[in-house]
Amino acid sequence: MIKSVYIHIPFCNSICSYCDFCKLLYNEELVNKYLSSLEKEIKDNYKGELLSTLYIGGGTPSSLSIDQLKRLFSIIKLFKTDKEYEFTIEMNLSDISEDKLKVFKENGINRLSIGVESVNPKYFDFLNRKSDKNDVIKKIELVKKYFNNFNIDLMYAFPNQTISEVIDDLKFIISLNPLHISIYSLIIEEHTKLFIDKINPISEEIESDMYYNIINVLKDNGYNHYEISNFAKERYESNHNKVYWDNNKYYGFGLGASGYINDIRYTNTRSIDKYLNGNYVLDKEVISKEVDMENEMIFGLRKIEGVNKNIFSNKYNVNLYDVFDIIDLVDKKLLIDDGDNIYIPEDKLYISNSILVNFIGGINEEGRKN
Amino acid sequence: MDKSHIRNFSIIAHIDHGKSTLADRILEETHAVTEREAKAQMLDSMDIERERGITIKLNTASLKYTYNNEEYLLNLIDTPGHVDFSYEVSRSLASCEGALLVVDASQGIEAQTLANLYLALDNNLTIIPVINKIDLPNADVDKVKKELIDLIGFDDDEIILTSAKTGVGIKDLLNQVVKKIPSPKGEEKEPLQALIFDSIFDSYRGVVIAARIFNGTLKVGDSIKMMETGATYEIVDLYIKNPWEVKKDSLSAGEVGYISASIKSISDVKVGDTITLAKNPASAPLPGYKPMKSMVFCGLYPVESSRFEDLREALSKLQLNDASLVFEPETSTALGFGFRCGFLGLLHMDIIKERITREFNIEIITTAPSVVYEAILTSGETVNIDAPSKMPDKTYIKEIKEPYIRTNIFTPSEYIGPIMELCQNKRGIYIGMDYIDPTRVNIHYELPLSEIVYDFFDKLKSYTKGYASFDYEIIGYKSSDLVKMDILLNGDIIDALSVIVHKDFAYTRGRAIVQSLRKSIPRQLFEVPVQASLGNHVIARETIKALRKDVLAKCYGGDITRKRKLLEKQKEGKKRMKQVGSVELPQEAFMSVLSMDSDD
Repeated sequence: MIKSVYIHIPFCNSICSYCDFCKLLYNEELVNKYLSSLEKEIKDNYKGELLSTLYIGGGTPSSLSIDQLKRLFSIIKLFKTDKEYEFTIEMNLSDISEDKLKVFKENGINRLSIGVESVNPKYFDFLNRKSDKNDVIKKIELVKKYFNNFNIDLMYAFPNQTISEVIDDLKFIISLNPLHISIYSLIIEEHTKLFIDKINPISEEIESDMYYNIINVLKDNGYNHYEISNFAKERYESNHNKVYWDNNKYYGFGLGASGYINDIRYTNTRSIDKYLNGNYVLDKEVISKEVDMENEMIFGLRKIEGVNKNIFSNKYNVNLYDVFDIIDLVDKKLLIDDGDNIYIPEDKLYISNSILVNFIGGINEEGRKN
Repeated sequence: MDKSHIRNFSIIAHIDHGKSTLADRILEETHAVTEREAKAQMLDSMDIERERGITIKLNTASLKYTYNNEEYLLNLIDTPGHVDFSYEVSRSLASCEGALLVVDASQGIEAQTLANLYLALDNNLTIIPVINKIDLPNADVDKVKKELIDLIGFDDDEIILTSAKTGVGIKDLLNQVVKKIPSPKGEEKEPLQALIFDSIFDSYRGVVIAARIFNGTLKVGDSIKMMETGATYEIVDLYIKNPWEVKKDSLSAGEVGYISASIKSISDVKVGDTITLAKNPASAPLPGYKPMKSMVFCGLYPVESSRFEDLREALSKLQLNDASLVFEPETSTALGFGFRCGFLGLLHMDIIKERITREFNIEIITTAPSVVYEAILTSGETVNIDAPSKMPDKTYIKEIKEPYIRTNIFTPSEYIGPIMELCQNKRGIYIGMDYIDPTRVNIHYELPLSEIVYDFFDKLKSYTKGYASFDYEIIGYKSSDLVKMDILLNGDIIDALSVIVHKDFAYTRGRAIVQSLRKSIPRQLFEVPVQASLGNHVIARETIKALRKDVLAKCYGGDITRKRKLLEKQKEGKKRMKQVGSVELPQEAFMSVLSMDSDD
């Protein structure tokens, strides 16, 4: 049952040195063509399900002009929604304006995700940003006129950054009182400017200390740590992102977007030419029941509450312990079983890959028979 | 064909002096292949040979050549060029009456030129000296001629000048082959004696034998008997390669060819054995080969322990045409079940390792190479130690000996200093130096073989910008003050990492090894102390810090598949690691124990 849609808007006003998402420089004509092609992709594929979450990400969706945004929303009117639904759009701080906020509000957006990343001027060049604390305060005040539910993104682990710098950034963001905070460390991905410039990452000791300090400060300020990189005030977790971590189905529309429909995970092309010509899908993979069970664990264990054993057995008609040989991981306290749920303990979250990797191809004989 | 019109010969040369290119040109000149077919270096058939530009396995081509209006059959038997494979060289030379000694016109005589020449002379072959690559701009034909005359004693007028690249001199060379190399002796009427000088495994035909017929005649349908193994088979096919396969009804004295007899059992065919006819057997076998003694040993273990039997199968198949490879099962507490394998040298070891991974698709872990030590026990008994873990407790040992080699290092004289420094650092004993001409010398050292099994070749190359060439002979065992050093991970001795070292170097080596292990072993979920110890005495320690970061920080829908792929890649990497106790070790870790230099 599909209840979620992701829409990718790949355009940005400038390209960030660390970004490896699918992005293009803003170009008015190209955006117009893109929106037409997006409309066609949606019309061709959407089967009319009632949706409970929609998410417009990028790129920078807020880089579109008011007219283009209106056009985008008219396309989105194709979707049918539940009475209660969550509709998020990503927004760049510098794009925040009364006009755009109004358009969002009028078109059903009820949640914003705002990239602040850092307010420390030391890293402005590095991040290709220039909003100081005062700018941010003003913009957020404007946001609050229209929306109380917004997320702020914070980034850490810049080369040579100190823990106290990270905490300063974090405390400033907390003072803005967002209902949701996403934190993520700088990853020097291949094909980004940072990688090409051979920027040295900070040591894993410092980075790990940063992470655990961040967790403590956020908890002290009433934020619930509910996923490796995500924190929210009570009841304000991102429903849309939980779709991914719960291994549920969703549509993905737009350049480079991915989706999960029936038993297929697909990824759209990253080539704008192909996309404009209607060659949307680049890659399709049929997800076997085994791989799906693995994904249920790999993505489910990103959540702090972990994977519920009952939900797993209801979904797959098999006991989690019968499928995966995880007793050893539980014995070594790399996984905790509290009776209802299996989860990664907090002190192991930052090395979760070395735990998750055990689930790849980890289905035992019993699981394969099933 | 009439024996008087057959010539069996090999080409011998230092590595890279153009042996394979010359063979190709000869194939072309005799119209065996057209230029288009002459895919560079026809005779080097294994992928590894082409990639590394060296010849490992011998290969035979039978070529027709007309001289003075008479047709001759020239059997060109290819030989490997590297010192590790002198055994194979002598195998092919035993099937020949003559050899072309090829020297590069820009390089002159090198270490392996001499080593191979001596092998040929041991086999009483007629030698034709060839200066090749005379087209090179830096060719110095007069100088190289002088070396051949002064050093080996050839006459000026018997030296042939060729360029395998342009074809100059090839015809002259082939004429000399016909004129100077004696035709094979032997008698067709005598009982069959055929020397097995090579064999290959073909999945359709079973074991195929390459043989030189010394006496008698062999026909399709004949029942043959291997004189040493006693196995009998009926001949299905006889053929020669020109270099394409050409079927023959019979092969007789003087000829060289391939025999296929539906041989399924690899162990029935031993290189060096003599084939005779079951009905009318020869009274005695031909003199075989003295098997080469393995000089370097290492443990080979399948990464997945379930593939132990596959590894045995792979080693058996490789041994089929490489009798110099020896192996026996061994057990390591750290690595489980595997094989102790003996090799002629390091290149030989590398090639076998690569062939196992490439041709048989088995991921293997190899332990550090070790030489064979001799321990004389207090009881008077002598034991051979081919693995450090087999070293008896020191209270039982009266004396330990290690194999020594004598070097020929050919080098331009400006590198004498650095080479002497290198050899001194490797516990070398200076013996002497011969001047080849005012600018080149041959340096002789006695060195422990264990000191050259690792980085000696590499160091020699970098110290001399690649100008030195190196060859050695084993001269015997000498007493040394050697001790076994254990390596401990997380407090446990890892038997596969133990090394035998000279006592005076133990501290330096211990430090170098633990440092190198710290770098090559990835961080684990917990902190891992790495120690080197002599007996119970820890002499060096490093710590591999616990893993602190291994996380996909941000993971949204857009890249779920990609993130899974990253984990799959991580899983693949994990598969190549060997779980030893509680620690996961990559292959590099097992080679760390060869580290000689600490990085402080």
